[in-house]
Amino acid sequence: DTPAAGAMSTAKDIVLRGDAKCTRCHDESDEPRILTIGLTRHGVKGDSRTPTCTSCHGDSDSHVDKTGSGDRPAPDRVFNKTTPADSKNAPCLSCHEKSFARTHWAGSAHQVNDVACVSCHGIHNNGHDKVREKRTQAEVCFTCHKEQRADSHKISHHPIGEGKVVCSDCHNPHGSAGPKLLKKNTVTETCTLCHAEKRGPFLWEHQPVSEDCTNCHTPHGSNITPLLKSRPPFLCQECHDAPHQAGNPVGPAAAGKYPGSPFTGSPSSGRTGRACLNCHVQIHGGNSPAGGYRQR
Amino acid sequence: AQAEDDEVAALIMPTNYIELGASYTSDSSAKFGEYTGLNDSGLDLIGNFNVSGGDAYGDGNGTTRWTVKGTDLGLTSRSLDASMSNQGKWNLEIGYDELRHNLTDGYQTPYLGKMGGNNFVLPATFGVVGGDTNSLSLDQQEAFHTVEVGTSRKNMSFRAGYIFNPQWDVKLDFNHLDQSGAKLMAFGTDPISGGDDEKVLVLPNPTNYQTDTVNLALNWKGDKGHVTGAYFGSFFRDGYRSVMFQNFMINNGGQEMTTPPSNDLHQLNLTGGYAFSPQTKLAGGLSYGRNTQNDAFVDSALMNGGLGNLPRSSLDGLVVTTHADLKLTNQTTKDLTLAAGITYNERNNKTDSVLYDFFSISGSNRGVYSNTPLSNRKTLVELSGDYRLDKNQHIRLDYNHEDVKRWCDKYAGNASTGITNANPPLGGPYTIYGANGNCVVATGSKDDKLGITYKLKASDDVNLNAGYSYSDRRTDSDPNAIVAMISRDGGSIAGINGGDYIGFYPYFDATRRQQLVKAGVNWQANDKLSLSFGGRYTNDDYYDSTYGVQKGNSWSLNLDVTYSLNENGSVSAYTTKQHREREMTNVQSSTTTPWNTWTNTLKDNDFTVGLGAKQGGLMGGKLELSGDLTYSLGETDYGTVLHYSTATPCTDPTQLTCGDLPTIYNRMIELKISGSYQVDKSAKVILGLIHKQLRSNDYFYNGYQYGYTPSSVLHTNQQSGSYSINAVAASYQYWFR
Repeated sequence: DTPAAGAMSTAKDIVLRGDAKCTRCHDESDEPRILTIGLTRHGVKGDSRTPTCTSCHGDSDSHVDKTGSGDRPAPDRVFNKTTPADSKNAPCLSCHEKSFARTHWAGSAHQVNDVACVSCHGIHNNGHDKVREKRTQAEVCFTCHKEQRADSHKISHHPIGEGKVVCSDCHNPHGSAGPKLLKKNTVTETCTLCHAEKRGPFLWEHQPVSEDCTNCHTPHGSNITPLLKSRPPFLCQECHDAPHQAGNPVGPAAAGKYPGSPFTGSPSSGRTGRACLNCHVQIHGGNSPAGGYRQR
Repeated sequence: AQAEDDEVAALIMPTNYIELGASYTSDSSAKFGEYTGLNDSGLDLIGNFNVSGGDAYGDGNGTTRWTVKGTDLGLTSRSLDASMSNQGKWNLEIGYDELRHNLTDGYQTPYLGKMGGNNFVLPATFGVVGGDTNSLSLDQQEAFHTVEVGTSRKNMSFRAGYIFNPQWDVKLDFNHLDQSGAKLMAFGTDPISGGDDEKVLVLPNPTNYQTDTVNLALNWKGDKGHVTGAYFGSFFRDGYRSVMFQNFMINNGGQEMTTPPSNDLHQLNLTGGYAFSPQTKLAGGLSYGRNTQNDAFVDSALMNGGLGNLPRSSLDGLVVTTHADLKLTNQTTKDLTLAAGITYNERNNKTDSVLYDFFSISGSNRGVYSNTPLSNRKTLVELSGDYRLDKNQHIRLDYNHEDVKRWCDKYAGNASTGITNANPPLGGPYTIYGANGNCVVATGSKDDKLGITYKLKASDDVNLNAGYSYSDRRTDSDPNAIVAMISRDGGSIAGINGGDYIGFYPYFDATRRQQLVKAGVNWQANDKLSLSFGGRYTNDDYYDSTYGVQKGNSWSLNLDVTYSLNENGSVSAYTTKQHREREMTNVQSSTTTPWNTWTNTLKDNDFTVGLGAKQGGLMGGKLELSGDLTYSLGETDYGTVLHYSTATPCTDPTQLTCGDLPTIYNRMIELKISGSYQVDKSAKVILGLIHKQLRSNDYFYNGYQYGYTPSSVLHTNQQSGSYSINAVAASYQYWFR
């Protein structure tokens, strides 16, 4: 036996089955603190499905058996920046691919852009996987999705920075059949998971609402409350001109009057404030037979 | 040896903690505490804890774990969770999550009634507003009082899973969402019976909602494939059917506004994947859903005109949703990955179309209208190929084709004369939507999109990527479509092009060319310094739209820098610049050909900067400090140009129909500093400071200020939510195992 093999024969596993040959060197003083895998589900030795060190890193015989001087060869599989994403993902997918959440992983936006499981997930990370915790998930996603990071600071936003809504409330980062990795099949199905009052069906439908909420709203953040792409009446005029002289030009008078205002005319209730929505209030759909103009 | 054991235990046994403390907020602001619960000045309790246990921790062979966790217990953003599992066999989780969305603390109204309630009355002495809402009597002005408005969500969840064997398991998710409070909404009321000049007030529209959601999934997995069959149900219930309020213009008469109807969604889902080989995989799914709504119509004397002759008592609405997707991926050679997929989504609105008497807000009968149950179908075909040129270069080609159809199965009218009948009877249903009739202007479209992406690993430390895509959407239009809200009896709106001028197309379904360019680089300069830089540009051209949105573009730039100071410390900085622009042309309605047109341009500019620093290991490893500074500036500008001359110049102060609107301006600065000091092996003291200021100037609020409202709008005196607030927090965290 080599000295290493001798030591292994007396060493005891600590967190994973058969980890003794690794933890004799990679012990509690190691950084990063790999033993913290014991705090995760991977560290439940009584569950026969959980991995060993070699399940992910390979048998790594040359790394384990190295004697004498010279650099120790790296383990068979390491998870650093030079390792191809497919290679890093292989040990994870060997157990996790056959599940509902990852059905659409192959060919998904993250897969084809070389995002690896470990790009987002911390396997040895003090038992806390940042991307799976509400308070810290967005921080991980924002590493790549920088426009969404900026959007989350705009005056109108979902409470993402506040940790009350997380990216995975709407998106499945492992792939989906919906657009933009949305959890449900369509945008509208996804939004009405929380905003079910806008699902209808209504007596008086509004086409952009029934087709796609993002026709008018921008979900990650906006300068215009509530998460609007534009401000009425201009938002409405992107699709409508008439009736009641809505086609008349709308200029600075839409800002109404205020101390020092250059406008001295009479503000219009159809132009200022909520503008069209001062009267057409059931804009997501109305259910009153009397409310054909979505007023009731 | 004991020390070693302790060190090992610290890594593999859960560390529990209880944290207690207090925070102090310097000033009250609904906007500052919009989602955090720190909306009122003064003290709040800090309460957090996390306790875990079970025989699966440590070096034993147990499989049981449990956790109880509480967060923000002293605030309206509190949550409480408990879970227990026998890993590999079963798991149970219960949760409670609360979120208060504070909307405003500056809203004023003369109406009396509980925020969250559905009955609002005026003070007995208020009387009526005879004419201009800017000329209220002193008594009327004094009746205005401030009401804090917000909506609360309390979500209770239950999750369970059971593993029958390595092939089969079942999972159950249940959520009960209880909403209360209100959101502000305008309410129109009539000034003079028979007139159409609506008068407007703003009230807290109640969100008295309950939503139950359930997902029950049965999963199977074998050597090569897996399948999930699931039932998803969502049941929305509105505690109110309507809001009652008094008319402030005439006789304080009763008025009524409907609230969202209760609805149900039942959906069956089947999803699965099969690996023909490690290189060739198939994934797909099927969904079938039924979304129903059959709330009784609000039929009361308070509704406009008492609804006249109501042809039916409820909608009996049904939308059937169908989804199918299939994707095949193949990596036969190491260098080439191919994918082909098809996705089909249909929203088929099976609701009957019926003729209704429509009364305006004033109570005047405006004619006979039919509802138009809208249906659409979208089919998307995706093809892609990724080729590895060498070990450092990839090139990827994508082709997507999307086909969209829109229609109505039913459109009420007189069966003998069809949709052009002048005086159809009320009622129905009728199904006479003929071959020549459409209920939407854009009846369909075809969108082809081609994309190319190139990636280069220039070195171990430098990665670059660049991409371009071009899409062309061609839309079929029916300018003679008779759409929702078009009177069936020769009412006030001409029944062409959805009531809009021919040549006017909604931007989201209009013919469009879109181009996108994006590029990025990541550079790990050395062990300490990393940088990333990227950008994106899109250009939209609605080349077939004479009116409506004509064109638009957007771009963004991002720069991130991170520098590692040492083993325990780093500093980082980022900045993002975003620009968005769209131009639309509208046509003045009161002129004859050639019609007078005007153009409005929207420009949105946003700038965000963030700086962050953290340092641990101070004072012998006892002190950790971190700080984040964020600056965000958002500016939105609208400008209007007339392409015709008017008798009174558009720049005349009484008109101002051309020129630039005041900039919508929002500037936010946020500084967060926190520090934790390890008192001993089992305790920390944590101190935190937040300074946040918002400077907001939004013309939206001008129209609701007393003295400056339109003469038909009752003021609320709301202001844009500017503030400058400090919050400090101190807490003691006790750790134990």
